[in-house]
Amino acid sequence: MPSGGIELRALAKRYGAVAAVDGVSLTIPAGQFVALVGPSGSGKTTLLKTINRLVQPDAGHILIEGEDATSLDAPTLRRRIGYVFQGIGLFPHLTVAENIGMVPSLLGWSKVEIAARVTELLALVDLPTDYASRRPAELSGGQQQRVGVARALAARPKVMLMDEPFGALDPVTRDTLGDSYRRLHDLLGLTTVMVTHDMQEALLLAERIVVMSGGRVVADAAPAALMAGHADPEVERLISTPRRQAERVRALMAAGR
Amino acid sequence: MNPQIAAAFAVLPRYLGWHVALSASALALGLVIGLGLAVAAMRAPRVRWAAITIASLVQTIPSLALLALFYPLLLAVSSALKPIHIALPALGFLPSLLALTLYSILPILRNTVTGLTGVDTAVTEAADGLGMTPWQKLIRVEAPLAAPVAMAGVRTAAVWTIGAATLSTPVGQTSLGDYIFSGLQTENWVFVLFGCAASAVLAIAVDQLLGLIETGLAKRDLRRIGIGAVALVIGAVAALTPLIGVGEAKDRYVVGAKNFSEQFILAELISDRLHRAGTATEEKQGLGSVVAFRALAANDLDVYVDYSGTLWTNVLHRTDTPPRTVLLAELTRELNSRYGVTVLGSLGFENAYALAMKADTAGRLGIKSLDDLAAHAGELKLGGDLEFLSRPEWAAISSAYGLHFKSQRAFNPTFMYRAIEGGEADVISAFSSDGRIAADRLVTLSDPRSAIPAYDAVVLIAPKRANDARLIGALRPLIGAIPVERMREANLTVDRDADKNTPAEAARTLASAIR
Repeated sequence: MPSGGIELRALAKRYGAVAAVDGVSLTIPAGQFVALVGPSGSGKTTLLKTINRLVQPDAGHILIEGEDATSLDAPTLRRRIGYVFQGIGLFPHLTVAENIGMVPSLLGWSKVEIAARVTELLALVDLPTDYASRRPAELSGGQQQRVGVARALAARPKVMLMDEPFGALDPVTRDTLGDSYRRLHDLLGLTTVMVTHDMQEALLLAERIVVMSGGRVVADAAPAALMAGHADPEVERLISTPRRQAERVRALMAAGR
Repeated sequence: MNPQIAAAFAVLPRYLGWHVALSASALALGLVIGLGLAVAAMRAPRVRWAAITIASLVQTIPSLALLALFYPLLLAVSSALKPIHIALPALGFLPSLLALTLYSILPILRNTVTGLTGVDTAVTEAADGLGMTPWQKLIRVEAPLAAPVAMAGVRTAAVWTIGAATLSTPVGQTSLGDYIFSGLQTENWVFVLFGCAASAVLAIAVDQLLGLIETGLAKRDLRRIGIGAVALVIGAVAALTPLIGVGEAKDRYVVGAKNFSEQFILAELISDRLHRAGTATEEKQGLGSVVAFRALAANDLDVYVDYSGTLWTNVLHRTDTPPRTVLLAELTRELNSRYGVTVLGSLGFENAYALAMKADTAGRLGIKSLDDLAAHAGELKLGGDLEFLSRPEWAAISSAYGLHFKSQRAFNPTFMYRAIEGGEADVISAFSSDGRIAADRLVTLSDPRSAIPAYDAVVLIAPKRANDARLIGALRPLIGAIPVERMREANLTVDRDADKNTPAEAARTLASAIR
């Protein structure tokens, strides 16, 4: 398997009587951008978190770059995987530079290497270099999540896990950040799995959409194929909103011409 | 300078040094235990509940009682460890340290747990997601974020510990409390105020410096943290310097004193004799009556003065009242065979428990003896010192004469004399060698039924010093050398309201009369 590929085999996770993830198998080739969508409680976030073992699966296997993820200890595994989530979770007592340099510092990089990497990453996420010495509280929400993305990318992971990364931001910032990240995904050749409840975001950013419901995969298709229609009524309901909105916008634009 | 203030300043380095040594070690120990428990408690809610509940329970025990409880506890532990030849001192630094440490744990524990559990879950999720181990998460993220809140707890603990350390005097640990306890006893209000002020100033200074560190932690300002920490260290080192060498002197004698003026004077007198013999001494003052004897028997004290009747009833648990010389001889034999304690001999005076009344009241009612008193007791109010009402002597007197007073109350001895003067008590428990009996125009009532034993003041020597020729040689000249008039006079110079002497001055006067 090429660098960055992920394979999930018959993963299962129960919380009491509820099967949050119910025997999911997925093969994600290196370089793919996958969106995990579905209603609340469909198991998409649980599935994402089993990949870096923030959630310990009850059964099944996870292979990352062909290697069994359960054979590594969890901290070692997580340092190889980028993780960005809605809560952002920047360390408020550290500077932007110290936040971005955290994983390299855990990995024992030298100070010089870390400083160079921080400068490089600030440029990559479109933040001015002098932000390095600021504290997270001095930044806007969008800027904070740019730092969050830079921090996740710091140790050059091949795999990025994103849990509603832009969910708390205003629509314009969300759109800008989504586009910027998509460019980084291509530029750096990442494999990205992004959980979102926003079907439109999923359709516009991802090249593959996996729809979950009740802990199972109910649809797995490219955005265009999904928009063409799906047999499952649940999936149909999820895509009906963006489809209807797109049609209305198209009609408005035609009328205004 | 006022001679009392000068006297207070003269002992300040030693009192302050011990006070700082005690509270700093208790706080350091409390910090280690409190932080450790907090980290354990954070990971396990059950541990958190148990730790905080126990620490809160400890906090509800009055600090004086907590300090006092460690004395019997350590005695028990010490006797349990005897077979493996480990001897724990039950008096002095160790019990004080343990009690104060327990006392300091709660605020540190509670604030640290609050600080740690208050860390934003998004931040801890990020720490996990980036691949920190639990330890790295604690050190790099949780601890720095919890530090300002935890530090507020450390400040509270420091103020409590410094305040409560003044209460270590009764368990034989020198501290700024020595001013307060001895001052209260000898009505030396300058000493009492001096002790309060000194411990308050110490507490405020430490609190302010810790506060500086707290703001430094909150603002991540290394300069403030540095200034605060360095000032604390310099202060501690400066305070501890006078103690250097003191703790190491192996052939230093520990002289005990119970909690009243005569005992303070006699302890000074004994120390003075030992200094003249070229040895170093340490005084443990303000000890409870039974505590003092147990401490001597356990070799925590080397020498102190007690009273034959007290030992007869409280230690030997005897209820008979043989003649004075017979009692002393039997006491000497029994204490030696049971406890290995040497009764060196009587100082030459008796300090008997007696009931005393105002001379005019006694005259008006025609009361001369306890028999006469029994007829009038129902109209009279009894005031006893803190121990008297629970001592076997009182049980013996009240049953022998059928005494039933209108009311009975316990007073600190100093206030007992005020009470009889002000009419809050009509009859008080008094000591026959107390200079205030004559000075306040009181009379003591005779004991025709011999319900109370004799109370010769005797010098007691610890088992391990039984064959110490230098100690015994230095103290032997005191035997039979102090007539009761002289002791009364010395007591009065310390106890009177005006022109007061310190116990050390009174001891010097006594010593010059002996030579």
